[in-house]
Amino acid sequence: MEEFRTNVKRRITIFSGMTLVAAALGVYNFLLMNYSEDATMYDGSVTGFQSGLILSIGIIAVVQIIKLTRAVNDETNLKLLYNQEHDERLKTIRSKAGMPMLMITSILMLIVAIVAGYFNIVVFYTLVITAIVQLSIGAIVKLICMKMM
Amino acid sequence: MKTRVRELRKERKLSQEELALEVGTTRQTITSIEVGKYTASLVLAYKIAHYFGLTIEEVFDFSDANKF
Repeated sequence: MEEFRTNVKRRITIFSGMTLVAAALGVYNFLLMNYSEDATMYDGSVTGFQSGLILSIGIIAVVQIIKLTRAVNDETNLKLLYNQEHDERLKTIRSKAGMPMLMITSILMLIVAIVAGYFNIVVFYTLVITAIVQLSIGAIVKLICMKMM
Repeated sequence: MKTRVRELRKERKLSQEELALEVGTTRQTITSIEVGKYTASLVLAYKIAHYFGLTIEEVFDFSDANKF
């Protein structure tokens, strides 16, 4: 369990770093927003999506920090978290739903979409839609498996 | 698969959450095992049986396993 506690502490550090990066990118995007009078809704859609995505990454990171800190400070919560992550039924369900590969490719697609958004809007939308559809299929399969098992 | 997990748990006045915590799994998995929706792995079956101080065969009904 001590090894798992160290692992959780490491995760808290990573999420703290993510929060800082998200905050920095959020401020950068806010300054980059086109506020000119002739700007259309289309002009701001990519920057808006990027800001939203960055904000949600930041919020998820903060929520995870709170959850993990609670687990580190309480032995029962730590054991519950360990059981949740190592539960054989959940592992089977996740693998049937194509996780973690589906999650990794979707996150990579979204990161590439953010970068591509600065250069090509068609690539941006294609990648975002693909990632969303992929994640939705994974979530549906996971829900079906959870009902069945 | 039929099991005696619910019966044994109730005899010992344990909640699903308490049993899950003791055998290293989640409450949902205990529920699924009790209603027969999920067949526990050998390791989990051993942990549950060991917790109740019984053998695997005394907790889990393997009569269906012989049908083919």
